[in-house]
Amino acid sequence: MSQISNDVEFKQALEGLSPIKQRTLAAAFVAHVLPLSHDERLNRVVSIAAVEHAMEDELLNALRSARAATFDSHARCGSEGHWNEQAGYFVARAAVAAVTPPAQSRSGGAAWQAAMSSRMARTSMLIDDGEGEPTAPAENEWQYQTLSDYLNANG
Amino acid sequence: MSASLDKGISALKQQVDASVAAFFSSCVHCGICAEACLFYTETGEPERTPINKTEPLRRIWKSEYTLVGRLGKMLGLTKKVDHKLLEEWETLVYDSCTMCGRCSMVCPVGNDITLMIRKTREGMAAAGHAPAGMIGASKRSVEIGSPMGVRLPALRAQIKHVEADTGLKVPLDVVGAEYMLLLSSMEIMNFPEFIEAIAKIFEKAGASWTIATEAFEATNSGIQIGVSDIAAELVQRIVDAAEKLKVTTVISPECGHAYTAIRWDGPNLVGKKFSFKVRHILEVLDEMRQQGRLKTSGMESGKLTYHDPCQISRRGGVIDEPRRLIDMISDNFVEMPDHGKMNWCCGAGGGVSANERADELRLKVFQRKKDQFDAIRPDAIVSACSNCRIHLEDGLEEYNMDIPLLSLTETIAEHLAD
Repeated sequence: MSQISNDVEFKQALEGLSPIKQRTLAAAFVAHVLPLSHDERLNRVVSIAAVEHAMEDELLNALRSARAATFDSHARCGSEGHWNEQAGYFVARAAVAAVTPPAQSRSGGAAWQAAMSSRMARTSMLIDDGEGEPTAPAENEWQYQTLSDYLNANG
Repeated sequence: MSASLDKGISALKQQVDASVAAFFSSCVHCGICAEACLFYTETGEPERTPINKTEPLRRIWKSEYTLVGRLGKMLGLTKKVDHKLLEEWETLVYDSCTMCGRCSMVCPVGNDITLMIRKTREGMAAAGHAPAGMIGASKRSVEIGSPMGVRLPALRAQIKHVEADTGLKVPLDVVGAEYMLLLSSMEIMNFPEFIEAIAKIFEKAGASWTIATEAFEATNSGIQIGVSDIAAELVQRIVDAAEKLKVTTVISPECGHAYTAIRWDGPNLVGKKFSFKVRHILEVLDEMRQQGRLKTSGMESGKLTYHDPCQISRRGGVIDEPRRLIDMISDNFVEMPDHGKMNWCCGAGGGVSANERADELRLKVFQRKKDQFDAIRPDAIVSACSNCRIHLEDGLEEYNMDIPLLSLTETIAEHLAD
């Protein structure tokens, strides 16, 4: 039985997984914050990312959909930013990370990038327009537990 | 910001100095500036000719500062500057100009038409004829410190993520740091990985750096809308923070006009020489490369090209630095036609992106960028301005072009040698 309890262990464990396993885990991370987005295209992206034997063209189409969702949800330069809406942008970015081909993934890999963007989505919901610090969300704890359960089940 | 026609006319009068008088006197009405402006080339509409956008300022110059104009005014023969004119010109001055500076490059008599449009905006804004989006951005800049309303707690929240992601500390308010990094709200809201890239690169380079909590915003809405008082106030905040922290160099981030605002306009706006240097992030990275403090490994696999942000390249002079940096990570780099100082604008600078009314037009004129990309068919486009990046992505999506956009700073960070 292994229990992930911090980001160093979390990242190390994710990097040890195959690209396909990273993708399916990334899908789980995105699915957990999916209610923060109103973009229905992302439901389909997550469904495809979660399938171990997803076809290459399905993944490519999913990537295009996820990218389009980021373009439609980013904050405009100079416009008033709304962090509640920005959560949707980070969900879309998490979805992009999940279905990006391994060779094009940013450092840390698909699952790590999806995890980080998912956390940003959760944080975005907590950033209000006042002066107070947003309360740290428990998204990372949920991700640690999800990975621990996964590793224990597939170890 | 109370506005009136009288204030607008007064502001326009104040803008007519020796250079403006010389520019209007020497204009030969050749129309060459039209062909340099994507708002003309992509619409074919003659009213979008750059020099025509300065008409309100020209009328003031002629009627107030020329003998013929003054005589005409006495006889009631001059064309007036009134609300009707300013209303008509608002979309030309703000929606149809990104202040990209390309028109100034081709003027055969050397008129800085972009400067004249910038000065025309001073009068337009004072008269209340500026786009609502830009007025809102300016107000938020003054009241909150960010045109997008980003407050310190939001920055701190993003920094927490960056620190978790990198395992590195993002230093705040460090007195005596070598570099003070400015950020655009776009980077905080849309591209926090830029902060991550800086943390990684500066750690490897052994450079001390900091972000000032009292002045972290790079964007200068005063420059964009054309209100010098606001522009000066925003620059002063940065100057105060840099002096308080006793930093050597202030870094302008991957934001186009922020760079010209702080580096080239900044000292004139606050009326004194800075006690610190101002550099664009690409200049700093290139300097680190020269000093052997920036080392990379591996090459990008596809064909890269570089989109020169107008304010950084044409107006800012940072042209060779990005190319030397790209050489570190690519052996398959291709220039677009009309690159470097004659690059075509993305179509969204100068406040156009904050102006929702201009959305249809900015996507229409993106055809010019599309043509540039079609000519070389890159696998990825690298740039160094968050606003360009967002708009290029929008444009590529609109024109069904599947080409990834990369930040040069972030791409360098991805290639840092162990």
